[in-house]
Amino acid sequence: MFSVDVESTIGSVEVKTTQNEGLKPEYWTERIMERLISVSDNADPMVKAQAEAFKETIQTVVLLYMKQAIASDRATVAGLLEKQGHKEMANIIRRL
Amino acid sequence: MAISQAMCTSFKQELLEGKHNFLASGGNSFKLALYTSSASLGASTTAYSSSNEVSGTNYTATGSALTNVNPTTSGTTAFTDFADLTFSNATVTANGCLIYNDTNSDRAVCVLAFGGDKTSTAGDFTIQFPAADASNAIIRIA
Repeated sequence: MFSVDVESTIGSVEVKTTQNEGLKPEYWTERIMERLISVSDNADPMVKAQAEAFKETIQTVVLLYMKQAIASDRATVAGLLEKQGHKEMANIIRRL
Repeated sequence: MAISQAMCTSFKQELLEGKHNFLASGGNSFKLALYTSSASLGASTTAYSSSNEVSGTNYTATGSALTNVNPTTSGTTAFTDFADLTFSNATVTANGCLIYNDTNSDRAVCVLAFGGDKTSTAGDFTIQFPAADASNAIIRIA
C-alpha cells in the first residue's frame, strides 16, 4: 500500500499598533526591504557581505524617498485645506 | 471561549476539492476579520461569522481584503503569502483574526491568535505577515 504524507502548517503573524499616530516611515522601509531583498544564511560570506551592503544602501534610498512622498502628500492636503478656507488646519499639517 | 491558532480542518479538505485559489491575478479574494477575546475560533471553524467580531472606529464588519501573493515553492515546500494589512486611524482591540475566502462562501482558511489583546487608539493596527519562505510563510504545505 502506498500513501503520501502532506503536512500543512501556518506561520505566525505579528501585530503592530500605535496610539494617536501612524507607523513611522522607518517601519515601512523595513517591511519593504523584507519583501524585496532576502540574503541566504548559507550564502558565501563575500556575497553575503555585498548583499547586506546593497540592502543597506537601498534601505537608505527608499526611506529618503518615502519621507519625500509623505511631505508631498502633506503639501497636497494642506493646499486643499487652505483652498477650502481652513488656513489654520493647513498650517498644522505643514508643521507635522 | 478562546482563539486557538490553527489551519482550519475544513480548509484542508477544501484544498483537495479545489475550492481555494491564492493566485494574485485571477485568484479568489481573501479577507481578514478581527475578533475579541470572547470569540471561539480554532481548527473547527468552517466559515466567517460576525459573532464576537471587533467593532471600532475605522473597522468595518467582515474585515478588510487581503492582497494575495502568488504561491511558490522552495525545496519540497509550497507556500503562499499576503501583503501586510493595516487598519489605519483605527480604534480597536483584537485578540485574534480569521482569514477567509470572500469569493467562495466565506469559507475559513486559518485562525491566527495574537497572544493577547492588541489595541490601537486613533492609530495603525497592522498585521505583519511572516517572511515568505519554506520555514515561516503564513500557509505552507510540505
